[in-house]
Amino acid sequence: MSDLFPRWYNQLPLKIALGLLVSAVVVSAGVWYYLTPKYSRVGYQPIQPVPYSHATHVGQLGLDCRYCHTGVESSWYANIPSPSVCMNCHSQVLPNDPHLAPIRDSVKTGAPVPWVQIHRTSDFVYFNHAVHVNRGVSCVSCHGQINKMVEVRHEQSLTMAFCLDCHRNPAPNIRPLDQVYNMTWTNDPARQLEAGVRCVRDWKIRSSHNCSACHR
Amino acid sequence: MNPSSANTPQPPTGPRYWRSLDELAETPAFRQWVEREFPEGATEWRDPVTRRHFVKIMSASFLLAGLGMTGCRRPEENIYPFSKMPEDYVHGVPQFFATAMPSRGGAQSLLVKSLDGRPIKIEGNPQHPFGMSGTDRFAQASILNLYDPDRAIRFVRQGNKATREAAMGFLAATAKDLAASGGEGVCFLMEQSSSPSRARLQELISSRYPKVRWFTYEPVDLSVVRQAATEAHQTAGLSLFCRLDRAKVIVSLDSDFISGEEDGARLMRDFARGRRIEKPTDNLSRLYVVESLMTLTGANADHRLRLASSQICALTARLAAEVLTQAAASEAGELVAALQSVNLPADVKPEWVKECAKDLLANRGACVVLAGHRQPLAVHLLAQAINRALGNEGRTVELFSVAEPKTGTIQELSMALNAGEVKTLVICGGNPVYNAPADLNWTATQRKAKTVVRLGYYEDETTAVCDWHFPAAHYLESWGDARTSDGTMVSVQPLIAPLFGGLTELEFLARLAGLEPFNPYEIVRETLRQRAGGVDFEECWKRFLHDGFLAGSTGRHVDAPFNWAKVAEHVRVLDTALKPSKDKLEVVFHRDYSLDDGRFNNNGWLQELPDPITKVTWENVILLSAKTARELGVYFENPERGRLHVPRAKIELDGRQIEGPVWIQPGQADYTVGLALGYGRQKTGRVGQQSGFNAYRLRASKSPHFAGGATLKAAGQQQLVAVTQDHWAMEGRPIVREANLESFREHPDFAHKMGLDAHEPHVGALYPHPHAQNPAMKGVHQWGMVVDQNACVGCAACVIACQSENNIPIVGKDQVARGREMHWMRLDRYFSVAPEDKELAAPQVVNQPMLCQHCENAPCENVCPVNATVHDEEGLNLMVYNRCVGTRYCSNNCPYKVRRFNYFDFNRRPLDQLYRGPLAPGGMPDLVQMVKNPDVTVRMRGVMEKCTFCVQRIEQAKIARKIKARDSGDVRVPDGTITPACAQACPAEALVFGDVSDPNSRVSRIKEQSRNYSVLGFLNVKPRTTYLARIRNPNPAMPDYAQQPLSLAEYSREHGDPMTEGHAPGAGKGGR
Repeated sequence: MSDLFPRWYNQLPLKIALGLLVSAVVVSAGVWYYLTPKYSRVGYQPIQPVPYSHATHVGQLGLDCRYCHTGVESSWYANIPSPSVCMNCHSQVLPNDPHLAPIRDSVKTGAPVPWVQIHRTSDFVYFNHAVHVNRGVSCVSCHGQINKMVEVRHEQSLTMAFCLDCHRNPAPNIRPLDQVYNMTWTNDPARQLEAGVRCVRDWKIRSSHNCSACHR
Repeated sequence: MNPSSANTPQPPTGPRYWRSLDELAETPAFRQWVEREFPEGATEWRDPVTRRHFVKIMSASFLLAGLGMTGCRRPEENIYPFSKMPEDYVHGVPQFFATAMPSRGGAQSLLVKSLDGRPIKIEGNPQHPFGMSGTDRFAQASILNLYDPDRAIRFVRQGNKATREAAMGFLAATAKDLAASGGEGVCFLMEQSSSPSRARLQELISSRYPKVRWFTYEPVDLSVVRQAATEAHQTAGLSLFCRLDRAKVIVSLDSDFISGEEDGARLMRDFARGRRIEKPTDNLSRLYVVESLMTLTGANADHRLRLASSQICALTARLAAEVLTQAAASEAGELVAALQSVNLPADVKPEWVKECAKDLLANRGACVVLAGHRQPLAVHLLAQAINRALGNEGRTVELFSVAEPKTGTIQELSMALNAGEVKTLVICGGNPVYNAPADLNWTATQRKAKTVVRLGYYEDETTAVCDWHFPAAHYLESWGDARTSDGTMVSVQPLIAPLFGGLTELEFLARLAGLEPFNPYEIVRETLRQRAGGVDFEECWKRFLHDGFLAGSTGRHVDAPFNWAKVAEHVRVLDTALKPSKDKLEVVFHRDYSLDDGRFNNNGWLQELPDPITKVTWENVILLSAKTARELGVYFENPERGRLHVPRAKIELDGRQIEGPVWIQPGQADYTVGLALGYGRQKTGRVGQQSGFNAYRLRASKSPHFAGGATLKAAGQQQLVAVTQDHWAMEGRPIVREANLESFREHPDFAHKMGLDAHEPHVGALYPHPHAQNPAMKGVHQWGMVVDQNACVGCAACVIACQSENNIPIVGKDQVARGREMHWMRLDRYFSVAPEDKELAAPQVVNQPMLCQHCENAPCENVCPVNATVHDEEGLNLMVYNRCVGTRYCSNNCPYKVRRFNYFDFNRRPLDQLYRGPLAPGGMPDLVQMVKNPDVTVRMRGVMEKCTFCVQRIEQAKIARKIKARDSGDVRVPDGTITPACAQACPAEALVFGDVSDPNSRVSRIKEQSRNYSVLGFLNVKPRTTYLARIRNPNPAMPDYAQQPLSLAEYSREHGDPMTEGHAPGAGKGGR
């Protein structure tokens, strides 16, 4: 009978347990890292139908964000401009540039330009642009230095943790209202913190940490 | 698993195994079972996909998923900006447009919310002279009809789809024929309408083609009031406008003015204003009701007399005699003499009428008598005679002159059809094949026209016997106009282009008659141009659309002479019918609280709305009094719990028969049978199919409202009825607290002396609240609500409004019967009867809106194992859907039973597919999803949900305030900015919401009143929603006067009288 189960069988349960443990750790670590928005979203930079460069338009020419994203101050949604906005300038500047063909087509035919979405929150999250930009949170805080991006990339993770970090301690991200759309504005960290705290107090900023703030 | 093999029998090859005979047979029933949730995933393996193929595809996709890591990237989605941005449009910011919902002879002025081009919520238009933000439940629910996947979406010619061109071609050809023949043999069957444009078109057509004949049919015709006003005042085209808020005494003669008659929402508002009371010294109006069925108006009565409908005319005559002998002018002598010959119905106490008359006489000019549409003309004339004699005209009753085109009746049309005089019959709206009087045999009669053309919203019973069917546009897709009951001209403007190319009635008529322009926009403009006169028309038009009404078009009271002789003439031939008896029952046909006359039959929200009185959903029932049911052998007891099966019965009237489930209605007149119209459709959409029975089948031309001589016998079967509240009594518990006005004046704080409330401060919590500190309620605002039970009339507009605002699904009759309805808000209706009243003859009714109370000490929160229900710092009890795992502990621990669980994917699946597994396709038509409010999460299966106080509106208001504040720190939302959907829709203005931390807010001031109490306050859950005790105002001189309301009497018997001095709660037999 002893031949039926060789001696190494005695360690088998331990080996299996160890094996399972190691693989569980590897899988969890893998999921932890690879499936989190930090990995899967940050850096996302799809190819757009028109290689519009924020670096050129904002960084070099100094266009204000609100020239195109007109709804940002009044709506939850910061809209993508319609091609007629592009044509305000491009009917004069580079009127025949081949890159701009989809824009011209859209104006002509009425078919919209299929821009690829980059930043997106889940359906059960009700993020509101207007309340943030009107209360001193700059575009930079969530979207990064757009003025330096030739093509827009996903800069921050925009996870719930990201939102909560700021909602719990908004002071570092509160700016004077006239600097909200200034992509290059910086303050030295110590002074910023002090100024931020003052703003939070004076403007009665009570960034909610309750679920109802974003989930309805 | 290939279905083809199931259909073609194959010889058995090798051994076969089966789990049941059904499987062997491969019946559809078995297939369905396979598709149900268990065994899971079975749904994937059907249809042409073989198992091998399925495995191949799945493994390939897993491989791709693994290698490409596509699973980690979300799918690429596009953003499509406008190619041309509309002016003044900001994506994501809702727009509001004023429009109006036309109804029979009137309309409701509305303000409709549109998000991204899609109308999603209907509110009242507060700028209209009525100044109402509330609406009735039909207006709230009408938005669902717009997105009804079963509505007519195609042009039909003899049952087959036709192209739009062909249909328009047909209309053009008809127009040519019309011009050639001068309208010979062309008949129009219309619905009632208050549209000035339609009236203008009608006149235009008549003047151009004088031989065209017009007929009108409304199955529930409410216009007898106007007819009476016209006859009594010798002035053509008069309409009656009652101002109940100015009345101290209101007498209703079978008039269910709370939502059973024309203009229900406004009447509710005015009535509720008269019932509002702030201090004990305030006055309250008094409502006397005489009626056969138990209606909402009867439920709100201070004195209610149940009397068979046919007997009410005799009572009216006696009442008129009492009043007129003392108040009438000398011209009325003839009438008074005529009235003396009428006897009071045998079982009515003469004092009832005498004291009621005395009360009226004591309040001359401040009282009003209303007659219901079911009553014959004579009753209406008498009611108006009383109003006239008491000097109410011009005060509580106003007469407006309204010109309406003269039209024939459906009976006259039927005669013309039978005589072969009709070549072309045009049916605009309505559904006569379903609801025409049974004696007309309408299906066959209609076919006698050579061509039948129809404009209809559904392809229904009538469509089947038409040559042409044209899809009608919804009012939210239409240009039009209408008049509200006060004569104000209101605009109907489209919020969206017709989804399926439907035609408006105006366009249809214009095309049919070849009257250019066809465009309804132009037609309405022309009407307004003629009406507005010389002023700057474009400016006037813009205002008309923007405000939703034409300023200055409100009617003015016409002081017309009264024709007493005419009334006397009608009284002399008064039909004092025999009293109904056990063998000669009286059938009363009534407008349904949910479906109206059947026009909302395919509306799921209304089908599932519990009837405010019976609480029955999804069908109509045969209403009987307890005594009648017992004598006829169809009595049943409510089971203590569980599903309710009731006996079915057959009713026969003049040789016509229908069958339906029996329902015992406390307070209904004996030997009266109540039948709701609008159910039992043969051909309707998916929702309305198979709900209830068709009461129109019993209804004949000679007695459209009530008919004697019916018999009823048990059909011997039982039927399941889905009812949301099967227990009727409060059992002496102080849930709804009420008192009579006099005792309230003596003991203004009686509401605090009931139950354990007096002990409350000493009781304290049994356990410390685990979240007492987390989060501390330190928010800028603290939200709370107060419900005035004196104002609430129980109309249930709030329930539908909540459903519309918060994406609440319907669940179907089967699920309602299992207690799984999803309404976040319900109306609890309690009956209380005197102990000696074994026949439930004279119940008192109370309504209590019940919604999440947002307890500060919420018991649901302690028991949630995953913290899915938590408090926020502004005192809202939140539900976090993403955390919820569906243990339902919270619901078990909720003392108010206001939490609702998604047992199925109600939002993703149609009602007949609820039991399909999670992998089966959703199957909900896209169109239905368009009605969803994008500001509210659509909940999935397995999560709990409940009233949020419309947190989306709160957050939006706070955000709007902060955007305005910018760097100023002025972030407090001003009082009155936020109105939850229920409060906004409430026509009675019974719900008030606001910031309870602000002592000056409206809600705080109301909560200061002595009537304010918490339901189940002794649990120390500290609800943020409180109620104002109800005050009744009975007349001490009346024979049915009782010192205490019946529910309070029951409470006093159990626990001692809270009105006595020194009373300590529990001094009686002790608490329960």
